[in-house]
Amino acid sequence: MIASWRARTPLAVSVVLVLIPLLVAVFGPFVPLEAKPGLPYESGVRLGTDGLGRDVVQLLLVGGRTALGMAVGAVAIAYLVGGTIGLVAASTRHRWVDEVLIRPLDVLLPLPSLLVISVVAVGWRASPPAITLTVAMVNVPTVARLVRAAALDAASGPVVEALRMQRESWVAIQVGYVGRSVLGPVAADLGTRITLAVFLVASVNFLGLGLSPTAPDWAVSVSRNREGVLLQPWAVVAPALMLVAFTLGFNLLADRLVHRSRRTATEVVDR
Amino acid sequence: MRSYAAQRAALAVIQLAVLSILVFLLTALLPGDAADMRFTETLTPDQVARLRSQLGLDEPAIERFTHWFGNVLTGDLGTSLISGGSVADIVKASVGATLVLTLATLAVVVPLAVVLGLVMGTRENGRLDRVITSITLALSAIPDFVIAVVLITLFSLKLGWLPATWVGGDLPANPALLVLPVAVLLGRTVCLLSRQVRAGTINALNAEYVVQARRLGVPRRQLLLRHVLPNAAVPGVQELARTGDTLLGGVLVVEAIFAIPGFATALVDGVETRDVPVVQGLTLVLAVAALLINLAADLVCNRLVPRTELLR
Amino acid sequence: MSEALNRRGFLCLASGLAVAAVSGCGSADSPAAAPKSGGRLRAVFAGGGAKEVLDPHLQSLFVDIARHKALYEKLVELGPDLKPVPRLAAKWEPDAQATTWRFTLRDATFHDGKPLTSQDVLYSLARIADPNAPERVAQSSLAALDLRRCKAIDKRTVELTLAAPNAEFPALLAGIGTQIVRDGFKNPSEPNGTGAFRFTSFEAGRSMVATRFEDYWDGPAKIEELQILSADAEARANAVQGGQAEYANEMTATFARTAEAGRTVKIVAAKGSTTQAFVMKVDRPPFDNPDVRLAFKLLADRQRLVDVVLAGRGAVGNDLFGKGFQYYPADLPQRERDVDQAKALLKKAGLIGKEVEIFTSDASAGFVEAATLFAEQVAEAGVKLKVTTGSAQTYAKDLLTKGVIGSHRSGAMPIPQYITDRLLTKSPFNVTHWRRAAFDAAFAAAQVQTDEAARAAKYAVLQKTLRDDGGILAWGHPDFLVAISSRVQGVQAVPPNTLDSGRFDKVWLA
Repeated sequence: MIASWRARTPLAVSVVLVLIPLLVAVFGPFVPLEAKPGLPYESGVRLGTDGLGRDVVQLLLVGGRTALGMAVGAVAIAYLVGGTIGLVAASTRHRWVDEVLIRPLDVLLPLPSLLVISVVAVGWRASPPAITLTVAMVNVPTVARLVRAAALDAASGPVVEALRMQRESWVAIQVGYVGRSVLGPVAADLGTRITLAVFLVASVNFLGLGLSPTAPDWAVSVSRNREGVLLQPWAVVAPALMLVAFTLGFNLLADRLVHRSRRTATEVVDR
Repeated sequence: MRSYAAQRAALAVIQLAVLSILVFLLTALLPGDAADMRFTETLTPDQVARLRSQLGLDEPAIERFTHWFGNVLTGDLGTSLISGGSVADIVKASVGATLVLTLATLAVVVPLAVVLGLVMGTRENGRLDRVITSITLALSAIPDFVIAVVLITLFSLKLGWLPATWVGGDLPANPALLVLPVAVLLGRTVCLLSRQVRAGTINALNAEYVVQARRLGVPRRQLLLRHVLPNAAVPGVQELARTGDTLLGGVLVVEAIFAIPGFATALVDGVETRDVPVVQGLTLVLAVAALLINLAADLVCNRLVPRTELLR
Repeated sequence: MSEALNRRGFLCLASGLAVAAVSGCGSADSPAAAPKSGGRLRAVFAGGGAKEVLDPHLQSLFVDIARHKALYEKLVELGPDLKPVPRLAAKWEPDAQATTWRFTLRDATFHDGKPLTSQDVLYSLARIADPNAPERVAQSSLAALDLRRCKAIDKRTVELTLAAPNAEFPALLAGIGTQIVRDGFKNPSEPNGTGAFRFTSFEAGRSMVATRFEDYWDGPAKIEELQILSADAEARANAVQGGQAEYANEMTATFARTAEAGRTVKIVAAKGSTTQAFVMKVDRPPFDNPDVRLAFKLLADRQRLVDVVLAGRGAVGNDLFGKGFQYYPADLPQRERDVDQAKALLKKAGLIGKEVEIFTSDASAGFVEAATLFAEQVAEAGVKLKVTTGSAQTYAKDLLTKGVIGSHRSGAMPIPQYITDRLLTKSPFNVTHWRRAAFDAAFAAAQVQTDEAARAAKYAVLQKTLRDDGGILAWGHPDFLVAISSRVQGVQAVPPNTLDSGRFDKVWLA
């Protein structure tokens, strides 16, 4: 039933929504584009100019790298660190290892990510690696707990018990079965987490705490040009559309995955 | 239960202690100190140096921290390095606006999310469910600041219907000030919450006891309100507690755009001016609030659906 | 940042007197309309959060200055060309050496009903100089005052003596943080001044409320209540456009463009205000070579910088501070762009193909934008200018020591004060590291000249040296833009830090 109506919003729509900004972000900087510097907020040629007289299309082409790259990078690092912690904590036979790994994260959880990020952003202004790392670190506790919970679920299930009885090696069980069953929830989480990371990075940049105010970044462009929104709307609308297309597409994809993983989960329970 | 509460309290105390150290370290790592921040081109370097020793900023970091920590234990949050006013007063002054904003948002969000969630859940995969799901899904994908820019451009700059800033406005006299900020904060939270309530409703409707009750001929209305809603609310309440951090991020954006003199603004201000006692005080209050909210969420859930496993 | 000093400057038109220019839509002040009394005026300024103060001797932000101007007054103020004009002192008279000055006070009244006396002046000066309060801003500029030898001649005459002669002394008394408080004034949270408004309430970073003072010596204000509010640029624009404020200070050129398309808001523009510049450290390579300094000056496309960074709302600079102010040498030829000559100079210096770092930050609107644009212009001569952005909060301090070339802006102040603060060997804010014993001596010699014309001639020579050899590449002078609601009348287009800027006792609501 679920599948039937979901199938009606074609997968293609979400894929296209994600792909457009993604392709622009990856290949945009290589597009040779003749753009003569103009005056602030001129409309006319293509999408006009921004507050600095720069061509909006050209900015759009180079601005995706930071807007999406920082977020995707942050989530990747968060999973690398948090995922490892979670897997090790879940699979260890020693309770103290679990405690040592997870307890400190519990302590970190209430640390407002906003504070951490603003401190780092203020201190190391305009440094994309620093902001990426911080967004990653803010996500580590939640990722670790999520992976640990998913892995524990799998590890305590009847399948692992059966494998253990068949005297499969610990490594084989962890990598072969537990690791695989974690992939479902992880994929579902990945979608929302990337969206959230894009939001976070964009918000930091929008607030002027992150990248330099002249950076071509999409969020910076929205922020810097909104005072001219009545003079030349495209300078705001175009980068905003790029960001929204990406997060919307990812949300739709994540939604699909959530439903799929939920269905498999039900199937497992049913069995 | 009691041992759980004790454990929980102990964890909270450790969390707060670690947090204060971390915040102190983070702010200590920042370039420059509060005296430097006062270095405007009106104060000479010599004046700044004298100011620094007057503020006690030339003492070693450890000494400053233990001094501050000792004071906090006696309930004294210290004084601001910038204004010289008491930190407790600064916290009090900044909490008000944020609280009003958050409560106003929740007052709209919670009923709306519950109604939407119930509507969607009871009509699982019906046309209405599909429409609402699609809209909430799309809305939750738009960053707060984009929504804010669009709403302000439309309703303030173009149409001139609603105020776009709190500056020069007076809140009790002009409640219209709340409309746009709440509208911006509303979007994402309603989407997240209503989806949780929807899922909870579907689960509850399929649960053994509801099916049983239905078989016994319990009227639909009573069934929904007595049996389904409390169960459906649990994931919603938990989600609400969990999104506190995300909501705070949204509040910061909203406070910045609408010039609302609130908590988030004070926090960023404190960081920017290296006003360590103020940053410490604000974070501490924030952390305590976060811990209390989580605890309250647990208790509410327990009340709604008495199951000890929730407290794990 | 000291927004007040740092962000403002101003260009006077040829006459050097009236510089008002009201542009925008709606009718400007129609001469027929008689001033009306009553009403509440809300004025929004750039906010400083917790940094905002009520103590008139601590001010550094614009919003502080406006607040203190409403409540307190100085002995001397600055006219539209930054020349000292009488305020609480009706007149002054130096001795032949410009060491001892006699000030005659006006018949003014404090808010507590007491009359202004010589004792109040002496107390105020002593309070500013208090060594236990290092943050009193005027401390260094008034350090020349020999307080032990200052005395009251009678109730309304005070004699101030300097440690060294200075013909510019009245201008120092018009600097920021020089307000006259009541004798024995201890508690800044209970303001007691002679200003046109009487204090009601204050919340740092948010608002101050004050009401008309009926016994004001210069005639009671037209408006009944004054609110001074704090907000960032965007909120100021929204507030004045949405009718939540009647006056918004320091607006952007983009806002002015948007506002002029509408009907509700008028723009009052003081032509050519702040000085915007790049500063080169004359003691560090490559800028220790005067050829390189000149080459960079020749490479700047000033008109383009003004058109883009200032959105056309400003005048091009001639590598000197204070275009249009008293003592500005207007007869020096305008520096024009000459890429070929610059290339030749750079080639001689062996700089072609090399990379130079320019240090900037988001500390002030337009800094990074200007540096980015300038880098493109320098690239045309084959030198790569790499833009490095530093922390906005520590920028003012960092620029003193860091880098070889950086962004700089300075607000309206008398030219001699600018030189004292930034271009002498012992200047606290010498960002170009311009330290020349001969220059110091010539400046000191000019300062003791009691004859204004002779002084002006000496200053002109010094400024020519700076323009040709100094490290300041002043490329533009932005207009100072104020937005007012169409109901507001009587707002003067003057540079900030002058008597009529942010002054509300002569303003009325139609």
